[in-house]
Amino acid sequence: MSASSSYRQATNFAVFLGPALVFLLALLVAPIIVDLVVAFTDMAQTVTINEFTTKQFGKLVHASDDSWLGFELRGTFYRALSLTAVFVFLTLTIFNVTFGLILALTTTALPDRLGAFFRAVWLLPRMAPSVVYALLWIWVVDPTERGLLNQLLVHGFGMAPVNMALNHPMALIVISNGFIGASMGMLILTSSIRSIPQHLFHAARADGAGSLSVIRHVVLPALRWPLSYITVFQTLALLVSFEYIFLLMGSSRSTMTMAMLAYTKTLAPGIGSGQYAYGAAITLILIVIGMVSALLLYRLTNMKALLAKPRIEVH
Amino acid sequence: MSGLQRIARPAAASPDWSRLAVRARRLGALRRWSLVGFLTLVSIPILLPFFWVVVISFSARTGGVDSAVLWRACAVLVPCVLGYAAAHVLFPARQHRMVSAVVATAVAVAGLWLLVGSDLHLDNYRFLVSPNLVEEIRGAATAGGQFPWVWNAFFNSLAVAATSMAAKVTIATLAGYYLSRFAFRGRSLFLQSLLILEVFHPWMLTIPIFLVIFWVGLLNTLSAPILVLTVIDLPFFIFIMKGFFDAVPWDIEMSAMTDGATRRQAFWHVVLPQAYGGIIAISVLGFIRGWEEYVFVTALRTGNSYWVMSTYLYYVAEDVMGVDYGLVAAVSVFYMLPSLLLYLFLQKYLTQLTLGGVKG
Amino acid sequence: MARVELQNVTKDWGTAKAVDDISLSLEQGEFAAVLGPSGCGKSTTLFMLAGIYMPTRGDILFDGARVNDVEARDRNVGIVFQSYALYPNMTVLQNILFPLRFKKVPKAEAEKSAREIAELVEISSLLDRKPSQLSGGQQQRVALARALIKKPNLLLLDEPLSNLDATLRLSMRMEIRRIQRELGVTTILVTHDQIEAMTMADRIICMNAGRIEQEGTPEALYTRPETVFAASFIGSPPINLLPGELTADGLRIGETLLATRGETNARSVKLGIRPEHVVANGHGIPAEIISAEALGRETLYTARSALGDTRFLEATSAPKYKAGEQVRLSFDAAHSILFDAERDRRLEGVSAHA
Repeated sequence: MSASSSYRQATNFAVFLGPALVFLLALLVAPIIVDLVVAFTDMAQTVTINEFTTKQFGKLVHASDDSWLGFELRGTFYRALSLTAVFVFLTLTIFNVTFGLILALTTTALPDRLGAFFRAVWLLPRMAPSVVYALLWIWVVDPTERGLLNQLLVHGFGMAPVNMALNHPMALIVISNGFIGASMGMLILTSSIRSIPQHLFHAARADGAGSLSVIRHVVLPALRWPLSYITVFQTLALLVSFEYIFLLMGSSRSTMTMAMLAYTKTLAPGIGSGQYAYGAAITLILIVIGMVSALLLYRLTNMKALLAKPRIEVH
Repeated sequence: MSGLQRIARPAAASPDWSRLAVRARRLGALRRWSLVGFLTLVSIPILLPFFWVVVISFSARTGGVDSAVLWRACAVLVPCVLGYAAAHVLFPARQHRMVSAVVATAVAVAGLWLLVGSDLHLDNYRFLVSPNLVEEIRGAATAGGQFPWVWNAFFNSLAVAATSMAAKVTIATLAGYYLSRFAFRGRSLFLQSLLILEVFHPWMLTIPIFLVIFWVGLLNTLSAPILVLTVIDLPFFIFIMKGFFDAVPWDIEMSAMTDGATRRQAFWHVVLPQAYGGIIAISVLGFIRGWEEYVFVTALRTGNSYWVMSTYLYYVAEDVMGVDYGLVAAVSVFYMLPSLLLYLFLQKYLTQLTLGGVKG
Repeated sequence: MARVELQNVTKDWGTAKAVDDISLSLEQGEFAAVLGPSGCGKSTTLFMLAGIYMPTRGDILFDGARVNDVEARDRNVGIVFQSYALYPNMTVLQNILFPLRFKKVPKAEAEKSAREIAELVEISSLLDRKPSQLSGGQQQRVALARALIKKPNLLLLDEPLSNLDATLRLSMRMEIRRIQRELGVTTILVTHDQIEAMTMADRIICMNAGRIEQEGTPEALYTRPETVFAASFIGSPPINLLPGELTADGLRIGETLLATRGETNARSVKLGIRPEHVVANGHGIPAEIISAEALGRETLYTARSALGDTRFLEATSAPKYKAGEQVRLSFDAAHSILFDAERDRRLEGVSAHA
């Protein structure tokens, strides 16, 4: 009895959890460890390791007695770091959090069908394939008068044509990523708003609250945790995302964020130069930031609910 | 009694109800219309480019791109939409609204027919039926004979998206159920590790994943991106499915077991059907994710041996016929279509997704 | 505010009618209960009075002025919800003060009246707690305080006691009644519990399927129900309803003919007789006891006779009869209620006895 029970327990574990375990270990855990090792080697195009060294990090920072930290950032890395910070901060604050929240609030204030229509419109960029979406943007901001934006500016407002990619590269990648990013916040916050009991809205109305007071006293307090969750998660997503930036801007120096730097130095089609150890070193920094975010997520998680004990003991 | 009256007796004077009613009507209308106006305004930058591409794909002739057709189409559609909106407000009755919708559609179709009908053609979609597009355009010599028929890329993409979706959904469902329902040693450790893994998007790990795939000798294959796509969002999906299973009452499962089912039978016959909504939702997300994949298809060198839709479009736009806007637009529309159709028909399932485990 | 009126109010949800052409009016200081089964439209009626739902047709009048379009926040109506709907992020004091925020009451004054109200509903010691730290009964008192602090024109109670346990319900019933009397605020209680309605309200409005079946004092509803629904919904254990034919000879139920008084137009009727009015005292219609349930103070029997299955009560805590025993049942003409089976209304001036 006990032997067959523990046999069943083992096979259940293998059947239900085995596949997930294998995939997660092979393609998430193993790469993290590989990265940890490769970052301290000289691996390049031949994908072989000749020596273990910290010289990759030497490309990012150099020792300096003047700096109180004991080291200074090298130009390329300093540039990548600040571009990343600007890109993540602007996209996150303007679109992923603020605009996501505005969309969730406004669409839930409308009748259901109409609200759903506008949410569907804002999900369109996320659902369209990335290459198509990037292509659309390239055409829209085409510097000649063919571009949709310039047609509007020139014929609609009588202004001079602009070259977004050349003159406002940061605005371009912030807006193009933000149009996609806003929808995630919108979806999560919409379902959070929906899960607020209707009676609370009614009570607030009867107590004399107007729309803005209802938002402030009933809706926002209920969105506290989802908003923090979105902030942490989207920060991380923006930090590591390079697909749209690469498709839109190629290897342009004006938008070379950290993730872009790692990608273009290694695997980017056409221009990747196979400096795997260098890329791994930058990736390692991102991994460390990821670990910190994971700790933040820990605080945002209701561990009691997550770890609630199963109530059937038979296997 | 006098103290109590001070506490809660309403003021003797009655407010001016009719003035309050007028104010409420005005404010209500103002609020509704400013919301609709705002959302319409911010939605235009999203809708217009997509509409533009569709118009180009049906109207552009070889060579240039003509957006006159777009503006003419807008000149027809915008008044029709506005007219219908006005009718919607003026006639509260369902029947009248239906009639005005039909009228608006008829006017739009007629207007489009008159103003842009002569510009529309299907020529840009010839890539669907002609296997040797590049040779046709550039001559056999320059094309080198390596550029495929679009259906080749289409079915490769379909295979990548469908296989990775099936694998991801199966794995997430099994694991989600096990984590929701079974007690085992290390359960809380596993759940907490999963929470940490959730933050490691494979994009972050592109380089080490490339190295792992290189060492197991799977570069230049279709299975490499399928494997990687399977772990993209996998922890997230496991949590979603765990949330759906958590919501299934224990009583159902207990009663199935007292009726003689084993746990696996109870899972299959009783619990799984309760979680269909979640399975459909993650299937849609999983498929769309696989259908659009570009980064890993190129990074893992799959593109060297196999064409998929993303590399096909990229090549069409960048290398082959960058100037033929009509053709590029037509390929884009063709590429978008499966994602959008899937999304349109299964949209209601996506809105059921909530955050698993986040404090409420 | 003197009067609250509903005039021919209808509320449609799509094609379904939640409330169907109802009219009623309340005087200042009155305590009325809207009683009916779930889904009868009673909460919808309440929410229309509060301004949360808009009537599809008909008018809502406060002091004779039409207020259909006045927003909830301008109506000065206090509501206690079934779930209490306390704001989870605010303390008890902040919850109570919330309505005064929008009335521009000076802070010190607002806090003073909040403490007075808290005193009235006996929660003064809980003011710094969060709603999640309170018991059901305490949350209920907070909800009541929040509804009362703005000196409402009208107090609406939506099944306020249904989430409390039995003992607490009993004491809250008296509490609410006491507070309502002391403040003299016009109050409407919505409930599906007839005992709640009977014990608390001056007047009961009995609703079914979106319509008002009957309104009147609790006593009138019990002794003179106007419809079969009102008769069967009010009273526990429920009234006996025996279908029969009224003829010139008397009331024929099955094979039995009962003597009648009054009008004798032939028609199908239902004879209503409350269980406490049926007596088993040795004469009348022969019947066989088929079940006996001890209710504590009294015993409820079901007996099978030519009239059909009939419930009756005996005021003994131990069952006097056993199943299978033969008894004879009788009842007084004064206690019989006859309903026209087709029109579903009570027949005036007719009675039957056995």
